[in-house]
Amino acid sequence: MKSVTTNSMHTPAPAQAHEADALAVSALVDGELDDALARPLLRRLAPGGPERECFREYSLIGDTLRGLDHDMPDLTNRVMAALEGEPTLLAPMRKPHRQRPALWLAAAAVAAITWGLWSAGPSPESPASLAANPNATPAMAANAPGNVMPYLAAHQDFAQAVVSPPEMRFTRVTLAGTGQ
Amino acid sequence: MSDREIDRLLVERVREGDKQAFGLLVDKYRRKLLRLLSRMVRDPDEIEDIAQETFIKAYRALPQFRGDAAFYTWLYRIGVNTAKNYLATRGRAMPTVSDQAMNDEDEPDERLVAKDIGTPESELLSKQMVMAVTEAVEALPEELREAITLREIEGMSYEEIAETMACPIGTVRSRIFRAREAIAAKLRPILGTPEDRRW
Repeated sequence: MKSVTTNSMHTPAPAQAHEADALAVSALVDGELDDALARPLLRRLAPGGPERECFREYSLIGDTLRGLDHDMPDLTNRVMAALEGEPTLLAPMRKPHRQRPALWLAAAAVAAITWGLWSAGPSPESPASLAANPNATPAMAANAPGNVMPYLAAHQDFAQAVVSPPEMRFTRVTLAGTGQ
Repeated sequence: MSDREIDRLLVERVREGDKQAFGLLVDKYRRKLLRLLSRMVRDPDEIEDIAQETFIKAYRALPQFRGDAAFYTWLYRIGVNTAKNYLATRGRAMPTVSDQAMNDEDEPDERLVAKDIGTPESELLSKQMVMAVTEAVEALPEELREAITLREIEGMSYEEIAETMACPIGTVRSRIFRAREAIAAKLRPILGTPEDRRW
């Protein structure tokens, strides 16, 4: 990770401090400065200050080397003078990290619903699974809870209307096997 | 913090009431926007007016800037629309080129590049600056020249330059900084930078 760090264990001489600031501005212009240093440095780039002058010079050098050599240096002053008549904006941006809890909550809710539906569905040992299993045997059905068989018998006609043929056959076999 | 993140942070600050932060964005993208506009409009005064209007429109529209696109991409669109409207109100047509051709920094359409987009004075200043920067780069020690060239012209990250030059990232950072300082020292007399504006 890119980083320009400063040693906080000692107080550097003014010339060293200035050089460290200029070095940080250089890295900032390249987008290679750590967040923790970039934010306070950006706040210090006030018009007329040495850091701002550094920023202006380094940007100019880069643009000139890339062939962006035509300039109207007074344009910035003209724009800023024109903006004095404009209202100050007060429309803070939504910060990306504030969206994360909502995303996590949504993901957790989806996971909970999915798990709930899955766990509420038929388990491998449930009577419905037995009925749907074409390999099931009458013996397996016989091990099902006793109150299921009257239910299946009572709903046999209805089951024929909605259940696919193999399962229907199984239902009949099961009922026949248990003597009902 | 990447270049795009820096722009987003500056936009955030402007939207929180810090107008001066917008000046940094103007300083940063002024020349790029001027180059774009010079491909659509010839007259230097008109280019400057359209550029100013573009930045003011951008300022007013900042509350709508969501940060999905890079700031310059957004500014570019405002600039093109402002130039189109400007020309339309004067009954003039835009050059018949694609956006891609207008914004192609590598192979600009020579028919569209205005040779002189400023006043005679600003043109002279531009030529002096180019000469000073060129001479200063040529006079740099080899390792500084290579580092600044890889960064500014090739657009490499510090990590890529460190790999290319087989040196630590900290050395790359220092070489680029020293190269910039050496070039800036040659530019200051031309720019008339007062001594008290620098450390």
